[in-house]
Amino acid sequence: MSEILVRAEGLGKRFPKSHRSSDRLRSLGRLLLGGGDVDGQQVLHDINLEVKRGESVAIIGENGAGKSTLLKLITGVLTATEGTANVYGKVGALLELGAGFHPEYSGRDNIAMAGALYGLNRSQIAQCLPGIIEFADIGAYIDEPVKHYSSGMVVRLGFAIIAALKPDLLITDEVLAVGDESFQKKCVRWMEDYLAGGGTLLLVSHSMYHVQKLCSRALWLQHGKVAMYGDVFDVSQAYLAWHERRQAAVASDHGVRASQEFEIVEFTVNGQDESPAPVLDIGNSLRLRVRAGSRDRRTPVVLFGIARADGTPVYGVSSEMDAVALEGGQSSVYCAEIEFEDIGLLPGSYMVKVHVLDSEGIRLFDTEERTLTVRGESREFGLVRLPHRWIRFVGEVNE
Amino acid sequence: MNRFSLALHFVRRELHERYRGSFTGFGWAFLQPLLQLAIYAFVFVQIFKARIPGAGAPGYVPFLVVGLWPWIAFSDAILRSTTALQDNSALIGKVAVPREILVFAPCAAGFMLHLAGFIVILLVLALTGQGIRIQGIPFAILMYLPMFLYAYGAALCFAALQVFVRDLVQILGQLLTLMMFAAPIFYDRSNLPDRYQGWLDLNPFTGFVEAYRFLLLGHGNFGWGALGLVLAIAVISYLVGSWLFRRLDPHFEDFL
Repeated sequence: MSEILVRAEGLGKRFPKSHRSSDRLRSLGRLLLGGGDVDGQQVLHDINLEVKRGESVAIIGENGAGKSTLLKLITGVLTATEGTANVYGKVGALLELGAGFHPEYSGRDNIAMAGALYGLNRSQIAQCLPGIIEFADIGAYIDEPVKHYSSGMVVRLGFAIIAALKPDLLITDEVLAVGDESFQKKCVRWMEDYLAGGGTLLLVSHSMYHVQKLCSRALWLQHGKVAMYGDVFDVSQAYLAWHERRQAAVASDHGVRASQEFEIVEFTVNGQDESPAPVLDIGNSLRLRVRAGSRDRRTPVVLFGIARADGTPVYGVSSEMDAVALEGGQSSVYCAEIEFEDIGLLPGSYMVKVHVLDSEGIRLFDTEERTLTVRGESREFGLVRLPHRWIRFVGEVNE
Repeated sequence: MNRFSLALHFVRRELHERYRGSFTGFGWAFLQPLLQLAIYAFVFVQIFKARIPGAGAPGYVPFLVVGLWPWIAFSDAILRSTTALQDNSALIGKVAVPREILVFAPCAAGFMLHLAGFIVILLVLALTGQGIRIQGIPFAILMYLPMFLYAYGAALCFAALQVFVRDLVQILGQLLTLMMFAAPIFYDRSNLPDRYQGWLDLNPFTGFVEAYRFLLLGHGNFGWGALGLVLAIAVISYLVGSWLFRRLDPHFEDFL
């Protein structure tokens, strides 16, 4: 199982200047005469990457970090300026949208075309066709030209083709983001089966949920360089942390917030006051503490909540629901602390939030969020581990 | 083998594409050169009273057909293949295709269509007693192979350069027209004053036209030396074309 499928060594890419025609002519001359490198924009520097068969690697990073370029170099669509990229095995790639469909041709023709490009002969393509059409599930559109497709349909068809080809290495670039909910689920399920069956995946995604669900390792690209490479939870955590630091820097530039009736003074997660919160293992306890200022010395209501990184709420509870009065003491700052013993969240990315509401628990005044990563190995489904026990049951029924 | 079946797929796609949505379908491949021929024949025979000098010279219409039809195949294939990389930029950016196949397909498809039309019109002319030698037709078809190699080599060259220099295809249209009139297609070598006749050999297409005339009409001279020259032109064109193409190939995507 340790066979290497992708090996990139010292990979670098520089895009030549190609906007003005004089630049194009100059590059042409240099290329023909073999006179050294073309000057231009360096988008990737010295990337080293090895992917073994059966591994799943996510490539994350902000827009323009070079993720798509890296994938294009690996698939051979682009040629590296420095270093080498080798792939050993059959590759199925969905780069950006469309997968190279010809807009004038029908879906059916494009399937035949993609199959031929993958190296199938006509009878093999004919064999795959019904499966692809069923997976894509775009109905009568299969005989329409692709230019009439919605972007979701294009991705459906592209993914269906890849799914039928069952490549050694699957490369997808932000594919899941376009499909609708049910198709996303179908794709994720297919990818999980594919990985379980020994498939290898290179995935570019901005959805940390998908990254953590599908990948075991992650590569974080920043300005064309590898910022971090390792376990998916560690890398995605560091990446989110970097984002929040950046956002915080932007927010603080906007000056002080106007004084409000109620505002959050401090929010700590397990004693730590900056985002992201410390990484938890399944079954750890979670302690949230907030100190909220009240201008008029009225007692605020505080609501704590946990949501999955994509926004799906997991649990929320307020001081008013549990009839807890916040302690104010002498000052105008009220404190609340809550503990979830054995948090029960399954591995993945979550958000913990605190909201401060007025004394009646109706108007919302202030909110803070922290990302939270739960690490661990689990094959359970869903968001939380519900308390459960198995009951011994021997098939016979009492009369 | 894989590359071959892929090439086949692209040629088939090209043939489909060229006549999809047109009423006459594949008939158009035949009709278009026929119309062109009718116009030229009218202008040259009726207006200019063109005649081929010499006793026992062929009539002007078969004379023109034998030169013009292969020329249309040649120039059409080059013009269409020149923009092949640009036209398929969406594909090149998404899938790792062997890119010379993208040039090969329109070039081969053009040749196949025009060769089919050529055979039909030759048979028609032969049956209506216009002096076409039927036994020469198989050899004329064979001559399409070096002509294809010549066109393909040029197409590889131009398609690669077109990626960098977008106005190439416009210039090329003009250059091909010039090359057409500089080849003995509308006239015979013997129409020219003696001191200009040698100049025709500078045009690489001259050899092909004279080969077809010789094979199909028994007109003019075409010896082994001329055949060797034609084959050499074809091979050199292919070698230069594929060298240039391979040299620029890794950089296409950057400039498309």
